[in-house]
Amino acid sequence: MAGAAVLERLTSRAPITWRVATVLEVVDETPTARTLVLDVPGWPGHRAGQHVDVRLTAEDGYQAQRSYSIASAPETPELAITVQVVPDGEVSPYLVEEVRPGDQLELRGPIGGFFTWRVEDGGPLLLVGGGSGLAPLMAMLRHRAARGSTVDTRLLASARTIRDALYRDELETLGPRDGLRVAWTLTRETPPGWDGFTGRVDAEKLAAVAPPPAAAPRCFVCGPTPFVEAVADLLVRAGHDPRAIHAERFGPTGS
Amino acid sequence: MSDDHTLDGNGVAGLLREVLASDPTTTRRRCPDCGDTQPLGRHRAYRGAGVVLRCPSCEAVAAVIAEQASELVVHLRGALLVARA
Repeated sequence: MAGAAVLERLTSRAPITWRVATVLEVVDETPTARTLVLDVPGWPGHRAGQHVDVRLTAEDGYQAQRSYSIASAPETPELAITVQVVPDGEVSPYLVEEVRPGDQLELRGPIGGFFTWRVEDGGPLLLVGGGSGLAPLMAMLRHRAARGSTVDTRLLASARTIRDALYRDELETLGPRDGLRVAWTLTRETPPGWDGFTGRVDAEKLAAVAPPPAAAPRCFVCGPTPFVEAVADLLVRAGHDPRAIHAERFGPTGS
Repeated sequence: MSDDHTLDGNGVAGLLREVLASDPTTTRRRCPDCGDTQPLGRHRAYRGAGVVLRCPSCEAVAAVIAEQASELVVHLRGALLVARA
């Protein structure tokens, strides 16, 4: 059986089991978001766009569980998740503020075959991310880079301020530059000399960044529920095929 | 009809995966109320004490899953179209 077929079986049919992951590294991304680089023994591999469930158990046995998108490429041996702290959340403050290298977490996955992209799927690709919704899109971009793909790819990323913009330095240097366009919009505050977009994602910004509907781009939209609803609606109204729009929503319950 | 507490089927796929042997995000469901067929990943999910899944076209209840300590209590409505391996 070819590798891809093995992966297909593993990701779609294998029983989903909790595994113990060890934190290898903690990377501060923004003042309120950190990336956890994890070693997961027995990890069956994943596709860009998939997510994992993370489970924490308190000393009294109380358990809390949340879903986090995988930010690392399938080609990278370690698994990376980026966690945005949600004030008063049950899980994210621990993951962002407390976790140290060497700590262990329970994790299951990879989960989901709906919001995924592989180089073989082709393009053009339109990625629209709000806040930490950029994480699964980053996995797709890192996968594209790892494979040296030059597929036409446009990213429109939305953040409140430049300090909240995830992966910004990496996105400036991520290869291959052929066919890749990265655009940012800042919704609350812009630094002096800012030459990107400002304000919420709207029809004009999407039209400026997205391939035309006639090019039939695969669209991936991820972010808080109101963001995803608004962007998906704008894409449909601009003439994009609803079946080509892949949306992944997270709300405060994803904290 | 949506608010900040809405997720979609992708967000509760880990839970659904305990119920289904197939990938819950791509498994399609045919709604008995409106007749539309959509992947579960595209269904709306409301997470409270348990999870309620609703049809993305007509909002009819598609599934109710209550999480208890030792078991999941699962109510399903409509037809699931499960791809065979």
